[in-house]
Amino acid sequence: MRSVLGQAWAIAAKDLLLEFRSRTAFLSALVFTALVLAIFNFARDPTAVSATDLAPSVLWITFSFAGVLGLNRAFSLEKENRTIDGLLLSPASRTALYAGKTLANLVFVGAVEAVGLPLFALFFNVPLLDVLGPLLLVIALATVGFVAVGTLMSSMAVNTRFGEMMLLVLVLPFLVTPVSTAAEMTAKLFAHRPFAEWAPWLKLLGAYDITFVVLCTLVFEFTLEE
Amino acid sequence: MPPTNGGYMVAAYVAAAVIYLSYSVWLYWRSRGR
Amino acid sequence: MTPTESAERALRRGGVLMAVGLVLVAGVYVRALAFTPEEATQGLAQKIFYIHAPSAWVALYLAYGIVGIFSVLYLFLRDPRLDLLASSSAEVGTVFATVVLVTGPIWGKTVWGAWWTWDARLTSTLFLYFIYLAYLVLRSAVEEPGRRARYSAVLGILGALLVPFIHMTVYLFRTLHPMPVVLQPGRPRVPGPMLVTILYSFVAFTVFYFGLLARRYAWARLAAARAQGEAEGGADATH
Repeated sequence: MRSVLGQAWAIAAKDLLLEFRSRTAFLSALVFTALVLAIFNFARDPTAVSATDLAPSVLWITFSFAGVLGLNRAFSLEKENRTIDGLLLSPASRTALYAGKTLANLVFVGAVEAVGLPLFALFFNVPLLDVLGPLLLVIALATVGFVAVGTLMSSMAVNTRFGEMMLLVLVLPFLVTPVSTAAEMTAKLFAHRPFAEWAPWLKLLGAYDITFVVLCTLVFEFTLEE
Repeated sequence: MPPTNGGYMVAAYVAAAVIYLSYSVWLYWRSRGR
Repeated sequence: MTPTESAERALRRGGVLMAVGLVLVAGVYVRALAFTPEEATQGLAQKIFYIHAPSAWVALYLAYGIVGIFSVLYLFLRDPRLDLLASSSAEVGTVFATVVLVTGPIWGKTVWGAWWTWDARLTSTLFLYFIYLAYLVLRSAVEEPGRRARYSAVLGILGALLVPFIHMTVYLFRTLHPMPVVLQPGRPRVPGPMLVTILYSFVAFTVFYFGLLARRYAWARLAAARAQGEAEGGADATH
């Protein structure tokens, strides 16, 4: 029988194909990103606050909210059509289901970030290119951190009365570590600080990712009906 | 000479008492049930 | 003894423990205000410590620790009483956390000159408070008891593991992130009578927590037993 990874990829591919066909969630997230970036730009006083001071926070607020917008998709689609039963009856294991959903979410959020980052560089005039490598690493790690937890939470939120509000409430405390460490590292990178200065933050984010990816994979099956 | 901030102390003590007492009273009465 | 009768007994015992706890806490008030010397440099506001610190111990470690432990136990053993205990602890813990977040800034205003300075313990308590609230909101959003228990347990466990990360994140910010220089209350040298008050207040608030927990848990069990009884009684009544 197919391996867990194979099953996960099949599930992710199905989700991404569906999303690609309708593109609504992706476009909403993009529009939202552009809107937030533009508002921040208009709202600040350029003589009082330099773009580089504000930039890391703006980037991460934008990415977090766009990310949460995207997370809802994963299970709401299944809920609407009760296709979750089909998935559960299939040979795919619970772990593969979680991995597949998380993978799809990662691609989705990653795509939004891929468009958002150049927009951000454009609006905020920050020196992205010289620190692009480390910056991409930071973005990747933070995204994995919040998507792993967010996918688990959306599996529960979709079955509650408040739906999307519930997802936000559930996920918010878990955003603290990934988003604040990422913002801090982004700030240090834009300021061209040496690696030693942001290494402790990187370690913390890495530890967070490992802990929560493992934990979420383990407890995911408890969010499904038995 | 220590600062005079007795007012803050009173505010905190009263606030804590209000919170704890309110919850205790609410819990006691609601749990009595029928 | 039926489940209902057993829960009613537990309710009465919970009430007694609650009363004992309340009396002990009242004792903390008396002792701290009337029989403990004023601290030399901070003034009377330092006495807020005797309410704030034990409440923080209960909210951050004791109450949430119990939520975490019983969440894990529930997922393994599936006994609904384990879920009722975890959720009772979450509710009571939230009350204690509220007191921490109210007394903290009041005390902070006197030592730091500002209501909020992202102090390590207060910030951790703030984020733990968000977890508590998420837990309580989640429970109110799920009707079916089995699913509610499972979801709560999942959140309870994730939250428990989040707490050390929040501590570490806050710690990193405090030590590595440039912060405005603020007055640190520091560790006061603690003369005898103050030490006694501190120890007594920790004991008193711990007992008070267990009293509230016992009553809250007994109430939850009673409600569940009655709901069960109605469901079964209803089925019989159709004969």
